[in-house]
Amino acid sequence: MKFWTRRLSLRARLWLFSTAILLLFASNVATHLWGSYARNESLLAFRETVEAAQLAADLGLAFENRRQQILVLDALRDTTDEALSATDLQSALTDLGVIGQQLGRLGAISSEGAETNYRRFHQSASQLLSLWRDFYQRYNQNGHLAIEASNAYSMTLQHLRELDERQAFLAVQRSEAIDGTIALTDRITVIGFVSSILITLALLIGLLSSTNASLKRLKRGAQRFGSGDLTYRINEAIEAGEIKELAHSFNDMSEKLQIAIDEVQAAKTDADAANAAKSLFLANVSHELRTPLNAIIGYSEMLLDELSDDENINRDQFGHDLSTIIFSGRQLLTLINDILDLAKIETGKMQLALDQVDPTDVIVQVCDSLSPLVSQRNNHLTLSIDRESMYEIYTDTAKLQQIITNLFSNACKFTENGHIEVTAQMTSDTLVISVTDDGIGMSEEQQAGVFEAFVQAEATTASLYGGTGLGLAIVRDFCQLLGGSVSLKSTLEQGTQFIVSLPTNLASDHEGV
Amino acid sequence: MNTQPIRVLLVEDNELNRDMLSRRLTRAGFNVLTAIDGEEALILMRKVRPDVVLLDMNLPIKDGWTTAKEARLDPALQNLPIIALTAHAMESDRLQAIEAGCNDYATKPIDFPDLLQKIEEAVL
Repeated sequence: MKFWTRRLSLRARLWLFSTAILLLFASNVATHLWGSYARNESLLAFRETVEAAQLAADLGLAFENRRQQILVLDALRDTTDEALSATDLQSALTDLGVIGQQLGRLGAISSEGAETNYRRFHQSASQLLSLWRDFYQRYNQNGHLAIEASNAYSMTLQHLRELDERQAFLAVQRSEAIDGTIALTDRITVIGFVSSILITLALLIGLLSSTNASLKRLKRGAQRFGSGDLTYRINEAIEAGEIKELAHSFNDMSEKLQIAIDEVQAAKTDADAANAAKSLFLANVSHELRTPLNAIIGYSEMLLDELSDDENINRDQFGHDLSTIIFSGRQLLTLINDILDLAKIETGKMQLALDQVDPTDVIVQVCDSLSPLVSQRNNHLTLSIDRESMYEIYTDTAKLQQIITNLFSNACKFTENGHIEVTAQMTSDTLVISVTDDGIGMSEEQQAGVFEAFVQAEATTASLYGGTGLGLAIVRDFCQLLGGSVSLKSTLEQGTQFIVSLPTNLASDHEGV
Repeated sequence: MNTQPIRVLLVEDNELNRDMLSRRLTRAGFNVLTAIDGEEALILMRKVRPDVVLLDMNLPIKDGWTTAKEARLDPALQNLPIIALTAHAMESDRLQAIEAGCNDYATKPIDFPDLLQKIEEAVL
């Protein structure tokens, strides 16, 4: 039972339970009605039997009385020859009619199965009555009682007795049958009543236990979810109906909770990472600012000390030291500008100043202004611009200049006694500039992080080659701002090539920037 | 101050800072030796046995932390006072330097009087 109740919905189970109880109730009522009906029948049959017996006794008495009267009359006729008055005759005939009627009534209430006896009795009684009627009618014409009348009387009484016995026998038989029925219905009523109580209890227990088991499983699931075990799933397959739906809703809720928690955790991880990156950036900024500041403050204090001394001042040395302070100050300014640029890009506040410009002019200008940097490490420069293909483009000149400057100064910084080549060509919609050197190059690992802020190939790179580690981050961000991209190819010890591609008409690519 | 000038080994890769600090220390009466990287610094430590080492942390070839650790592993250099100089200004950076074996720690930009005090404390 457990199996199928578990498969049924709660509503179906309740319906089934109620229907079963109603059916049991109805069957109890039906058996009770059957018993009542049998009792009624029995009472009716008893009454009929009693009535029939009474009628038979009455009839017997009537026959006997009438025979006594007739015998007396017959004897009187023989002795006195006295005529019978018309009134007496009429009354006697009426009496005989009444007996005839009673005879008919007895026939009507005689039991089934006693028909033969009744017919026989009726026949002989009718014959007797007609003989007696004859007797009365012929009495005044010197009539005598026929000999047959005596025979007919004894025959009638005989038949009446037989009918009576037969009736009594049938009544006993019938009452036995009715008693049997009553006993049976009583038994059925008792058994039905007891069994319906038992079945009702069994159904109730079955319903409660199966529903309870389902609810317990739900409760267990809810507790597991509540304690944070969101990977737990309530077994939906063994439930049915509303409880299955509820279990499904629980599981669904758990799944959605898990997803939500995962999302929140992912968001937290992202936020933590962003926070850590910010802290690192800040620590790096602090470090980078302190280095030139150390020189500025140190030299200034030293010069102040020298001024306060009485010794003669070495003017050349003094001038050189002042230049050093200025150089460090400028370095600091560059650094601050770079940091501000990056911050502006990060917060989306970098403005573009778009204008028509010839990229050839920009490239040549940058290379000219940085020529001291080229010769500083004994490098030489090749400038190969495909002038045929060049035309004025629409972009932010200052940013383009900054991109070329950063890449070019990087190439100069990381190359010694080498060769630096800057190329430029244009297609209908793209400007491609490459800066190639045959310097120290980078390993693949180093290339991976080279566009990140404050990342230099090695921690010691800055001290060897200078720079803030912001140059390439700015190049990458500016290229993106100008709607283009920057890529690099590099082999350790063999050199590096940076390739910048920018759209020639920023307005058409970046509406509203 | 002792009659014999205190010998200071300044390890600093940044040319400007090395020049500035060595000149200021010389003016303050110290006998200053300089090294550019950790490798050179260790060689000088073993060879000339300075009274105190001023060690920058961001060095090429062998950084300051490694240099300090190696110095501490050498029995001859175990008790050599080392003062870390760095532009890293966080508390964690100071701890990192102390853990590497440095006796003291000075943050750039250098507070010169404070540095002199630290040197004196280290040499005593």
